[in-house]
Amino acid sequence: MTRFFAVLERDLRRFTRNPIVIVMSVVMPIVYLVILGNSFQGELKNLSIAVVDMDNGPYSHRVVELLHALESGPRTVKIYLLSDQGFALKNLKEGLLKGALIIPPNFSRDVIHGKGGELGLFLDNAESISANSIRMAISGALAEIGNEFISVREERTKTKLREVELYRKVDYDQTLIPGVVIMAIFLGAMTTGVFNIVMDKFLGIDESHFLTPLTKLDIVMGLIISGLIITTIIALLVLFFSSLIAGIHLWQTLNIYSLALIIAIIVLSTIGLLGMMFIILGRANHPRIVGVLGGFLNVIFFFPSGAIYPIESFPAWLKTFSIVNPETYSVHALRAILFKNAGLQTVQGDILFLIVFAIITITIATVIFKRGL
Amino acid sequence: MPISVEISNLVKKYGGLAALNDVLFTIEEGETFGLLGPNGAGKTTLIRILSTLIKPTSGSAKVMGFDVVKEQNAVRKSIGVVPQAMTSDMDLTGYENMDIYGRFYDMPKKERQERIDYLLGMVGLKERAKELVATYSGGMRRRLEIARGLIHKPALLILDEPTIGLDPQSRHVVWELLQRFRKEDRLTILLTTHYMDEAEILCSRVAIIDYGKIVAMDTVAGLKQKIPQKDVVEITFSGADADKAVEEVKTIPSVRTAVTTDSILRVSVDNGAQAIPLLMAAVERLGAKVASVTLKQQTLEDVFIHFTGRPIREEEAKKVSFFIGAGVPSKWGR
Repeated sequence: MTRFFAVLERDLRRFTRNPIVIVMSVVMPIVYLVILGNSFQGELKNLSIAVVDMDNGPYSHRVVELLHALESGPRTVKIYLLSDQGFALKNLKEGLLKGALIIPPNFSRDVIHGKGGELGLFLDNAESISANSIRMAISGALAEIGNEFISVREERTKTKLREVELYRKVDYDQTLIPGVVIMAIFLGAMTTGVFNIVMDKFLGIDESHFLTPLTKLDIVMGLIISGLIITTIIALLVLFFSSLIAGIHLWQTLNIYSLALIIAIIVLSTIGLLGMMFIILGRANHPRIVGVLGGFLNVIFFFPSGAIYPIESFPAWLKTFSIVNPETYSVHALRAILFKNAGLQTVQGDILFLIVFAIITITIATVIFKRGL
Repeated sequence: MPISVEISNLVKKYGGLAALNDVLFTIEEGETFGLLGPNGAGKTTLIRILSTLIKPTSGSAKVMGFDVVKEQNAVRKSIGVVPQAMTSDMDLTGYENMDIYGRFYDMPKKERQERIDYLLGMVGLKERAKELVATYSGGMRRRLEIARGLIHKPALLILDEPTIGLDPQSRHVVWELLQRFRKEDRLTILLTTHYMDEAEILCSRVAIIDYGKIVAMDTVAGLKQKIPQKDVVEITFSGADADKAVEEVKTIPSVRTAVTTDSILRVSVDNGAQAIPLLMAAVERLGAKVASVTLKQQTLEDVFIHFTGRPIREEEAKKVSFFIGAGVPSKWGR
């Protein structure tokens, strides 16, 4: 055990003497949250559309009113009232507008005569996400046309949908928190553990360790436990600060039991990722390889984890990958504990997967680690 | 004398290339044995096999009676190694480097602390023990690494190019240290070097290794005896006949040849330093006045050129990986 603790202490001491790495490890995931949270924001906003009213009748006015309601309410669109259809389409093609709604002459007359008036919606479909949002927002708004003419008696027969939210209101930047914590764990697993082996190899220091009675297990476990300690602290700091930024006061929303569950998820995820890094990078001998593979692996594991976008909407092949992706289970479990007050019963499947993953990766990492030059 | 290192028909091949080819020698306890050879000759490969870092392709090697393949842990506990590259941790202090290394050998705390104090005192780093190694000079780092290699009281200290890259003053300090440790800790020392002066000053026996083969092995004096080139003494004189001077000095048994040109008597002789008084006396017996005497001693460099056909500093180009550039696989040497 003396040798194992010596490896552990050496690694911890070296890490604490590089405070910039600690600061970066905490700050980077939080910056990620701030940038992602403010750039994606779940629902799109302020999409510029031109409205050309060639009808100028009561129903065209009603359409414009509804669009103004969209503009001042959910702020999905920003309305520019134009009189020239050609000018509107020119601006759309030049990218100054995301869409143009043309209300043709006789629109109000057609609606009144029950012919069902038609509107022309020109969309910049080169940006499909914006185009879809505009289409959905305007379709939703236009469904309201004529509501005031429907009698109360008829209204009772119409099927209405009332939303019932199971959990407290969760903003988009708050939903990113589990992903940000997992990113902190990934970065921690990248900059500790096997990375120190790669640096020791690059500097030739590994040779001096292999000359001593240190065993494979001393080296691998010493580095994994030191990486675990550092990464767990970093992940908890990231959880605390990112929650604070997103407006969640953890000391009010978490109890000891849920905090213990969160720590368990972080610890298991960290061990699994540290072991996986050992398997992938255990024989690399240049930090450049870690840099290149690190960025690649982060994308591979982070985006299919459901941290940004729901897994259900993935194509089948990506969905299959997300099933074996450990970050999927970490994100799912953290989200359940943080936002749904879930207990062990809800996350036991995630925990079981993470335990199995950690055992497999650590075992393989130790077996294939080459103690020698 | 008991044997510290016993190497029998050792071969190490990388692909079809033999880095070591049928190496055979022994080192006795208390010796300082030098492996002399240019870069790429196989010195580091041999040391890595003896220190259990790599396995030989065939043959056997025993260190302090333990087989380097079958009894690796016992070998590791018996040897201290100072690798060629600086391997101390820059982010740790000198003391921490020593302490952590001592714990790698399971040394009890009290014994470890006493040993660290003694060794850091010996290498003159006690005052800087609490400072980060990043603040040390190259010479200080090398001294720390020698001390670190001795933390667990090994019987054999192996040093791979211990003074490479050091300034002349630091080299002399390292030499003095090794001589003191050998005497006070009764160490056996095996070192590789391509510095001739280092081998001459430190080594009781030297093996010349080239292209993975031992081409000569003896004491430094013994190796010098084996080559035809001898010491040359040049005596500038006046007041005597040149031919008579040649005949007179040829009566001295250690003189091989003697010639004169322009009042300079050039004598090829065994052990020139000892022969100088005899040569001067012979010339003065003829009534001549000696103006100056110079001695060009035979060096280990002459020995090396004789056995290998080239000077030691001729280095081969290093291999660099096409794919990873400077991240050279360790088997090619760093």
